[in-house]
Amino acid sequence: MLNNFMFQRFNFSTEMANISIDAIKKNTYDAIVIGSGISGGWAAKELCENGLKTLVLERGRDVKHIEDYPTANKHPWEFEHRGQVPLAVREAYGSIRSFMREETLHWAIKPDEQPFVQEKPFSWTRGYHVGGKSLLWARQTQRWSDFDFEGPARDGYAVDWPIRYADIAPWYSHVEKFAGISGNKDGLPHLPDGEFLPPIELNCVEQHLQGVLAQNYTDRQLIQGRCAHLTSPQAVHLQQGRGKCQHRNLCNRGCPLGGYFSANASTLPAAAKTGKMTLRPHSVVHSIIFDVKKDKASGVRVVDANTGEMIEYFAKIIFVNAGAVNSNLILLNSLSTRFPTGLGNESGLLGKYFACHNYRGKASAQVEGFQDKTTSGKNPSNGYIPRFRNVQKQEMDFLRGYSIGVGAGRWSGSNREGIGEDLKNQLLHPALGNWGISAWMQGETVPIESNHLRLHTELKDKYGIPQLITSVAWTENDDKMVKDFQEQVEEMFTKAGFKNINANDSHSNPGSDIHEMGGVRMGKDPKTSLLNEWNQLHSCKNVFVSDGACMTSTGTQNPSLTYMAITARAANYAVSALKKRIL
Amino acid sequence: MHRRKSIQNIALLAGGLIALPNWAKAWSLDSLPMVGKLLNPAAENTLALIIETIIPESDTKGAKSLGVPAFVNTMLADCYERKVVENVEKGLAVVEKLAIERYQQSFANLTTSQKEQLLLSLEKETDSNLKDFYSLIKNLTIQGFTSSEYVQTTFLKYEMAPGHYYGCVSI
Repeated sequence: MLNNFMFQRFNFSTEMANISIDAIKKNTYDAIVIGSGISGGWAAKELCENGLKTLVLERGRDVKHIEDYPTANKHPWEFEHRGQVPLAVREAYGSIRSFMREETLHWAIKPDEQPFVQEKPFSWTRGYHVGGKSLLWARQTQRWSDFDFEGPARDGYAVDWPIRYADIAPWYSHVEKFAGISGNKDGLPHLPDGEFLPPIELNCVEQHLQGVLAQNYTDRQLIQGRCAHLTSPQAVHLQQGRGKCQHRNLCNRGCPLGGYFSANASTLPAAAKTGKMTLRPHSVVHSIIFDVKKDKASGVRVVDANTGEMIEYFAKIIFVNAGAVNSNLILLNSLSTRFPTGLGNESGLLGKYFACHNYRGKASAQVEGFQDKTTSGKNPSNGYIPRFRNVQKQEMDFLRGYSIGVGAGRWSGSNREGIGEDLKNQLLHPALGNWGISAWMQGETVPIESNHLRLHTELKDKYGIPQLITSVAWTENDDKMVKDFQEQVEEMFTKAGFKNINANDSHSNPGSDIHEMGGVRMGKDPKTSLLNEWNQLHSCKNVFVSDGACMTSTGTQNPSLTYMAITARAANYAVSALKKRIL
Repeated sequence: MHRRKSIQNIALLAGGLIALPNWAKAWSLDSLPMVGKLLNPAAENTLALIIETIIPESDTKGAKSLGVPAFVNTMLADCYERKVVENVEKGLAVVEKLAIERYQQSFANLTTSQKEQLLLSLEKETDSNLKDFYSLIKNLTIQGFTSSEYVQTTFLKYEMAPGHYYGCVSI
């Protein structure tokens, strides 16, 4: 049915003239936010709370906090196949493997929703529903420091960031207070402290490793990862209707308690409360409309996912928060006589210098001892070793470095041998096993021009939008970093007395980290970047891009907190610029 | 309004009656749809006997009274490829054949000890198909049994919402 609809390029000015003034007025807002996820939710909240009538566009279905988490309170025995997805159901999802569990199947998308071309292998996990990946994230929230923002300038890659830590620090505080971040004040210059709720505890074995690192190294520390869980909700969180994290560790089903931060539990309700927000699900953004006469963007073209109808919405400012890959796609597909290769693409760099985090390195080991100790309850966080390579100066044969996630635990298990009464007794009385520990790397990748996204010239999706081509590969720098991770974890684990250490290279695809970044990078010079220090397109200033697409470099921190802070900062700038009539 | 929402959250946490869409609450062991459709009645009967032998009834509930045979049937019908199910059918026929060969009786008429010995011998089989058949049935039986509400709540200290995490406690 959708194929019957015409998605030809509009002759913008004449087409515009045919639309009645009333229809335009009805579809006109102060601001449009494309995307309702972790950064879009923040844009919506900040813009609405500043009085802007805001349209939030989400390509997927609506997900209302609490009522649309169908599996959130189901017990293991209430899943017909105990979590396994039946073959016939699985078939409909083709090669897509994300969320293929009965607990989380409601987040999976089908391949025909948005086919794309992997010129090089790329894993792309999408969250196509209101709230996006804010319902699915790992909830780790580490701040960047100037060792990250100054990285490209110091080490001579990408381009210099147009902002520094001092520019964003107040906005980190702003979003942390509202979202609720738990953590310790660790006093590390390269991982600045924030506005923390009480930390989650490290366990015995993690504490042991922490001590071993403190004794043996001056350059590295094991800390508790800062995470977006309400360990002690404050008034600002209770006002959002959110409660204390109950350590269910069922986060990716959606949390009916609002125990962790999601757009659905937090920013979107805050935006809705102002009465200024219109949330429109099933709205697949086709492109941004550029008005050549006014020399700025005038609105957004949307394909209604249910009817196939193309609808135009208009606004003074547009925030692009579609998720890094889709934000690139939308700009690349926003063509006009002024911007024939994509909106704001005067530099020709749109879609280029696309990057992600390197999660290839994985390690595990067995832990002897601690037999009289165990854990109680469930841990929604993990230990974290901030970057220790090339921090103060370049010292390795690779650029930049990696952080390490660390998690130890003691498992209980049953002897499954035998049959009958004996087997039954074994199963009913599991014994505590030994402790084990695992570690995983989160490596900074150095953005390079050849790692890019572009549009296919012929293939389109069912909405008539060109298919995306992903061309992103690891580099020698990444390979060297994985090797160093393997060696260093082995060394640290050996010093800690752990046994059967296995540190390997999983060779996972780029994108497996779900930390896509870049393609619309920030910078000082319009010739070498797309966005300025306020996340405005250099050459189309009423369009802001503040999700992962804006990232000039990748750092080694889980990036969502930085997207939130950058977005809140950009949105508040946009409001002040509108007031000053410079937008 | 916020207070009401908080109360709603607490109610959800308590795991009481929750308004869920019909498709989400229709699943229970008694309403599994595929029972009897996959295997012929004789094979299904043998399968149930094998499952009951692996985890028998005693002073505590066993696989039979916890509905594990129906669960295993559902898993075979919905989650495994045809060739795996065919191997299960063959395996069930072999079990019957071995019962006759070794004890001159149908599997159903063997003593508990004879049934156990016969099944244990499958674990040492050189025929990998037969070994795979028994290993699959045993694993599914254990899965259905240990994930049942009875075993989870009576023996395995199941707690959906512990409400805390203590990293280092003495046993």
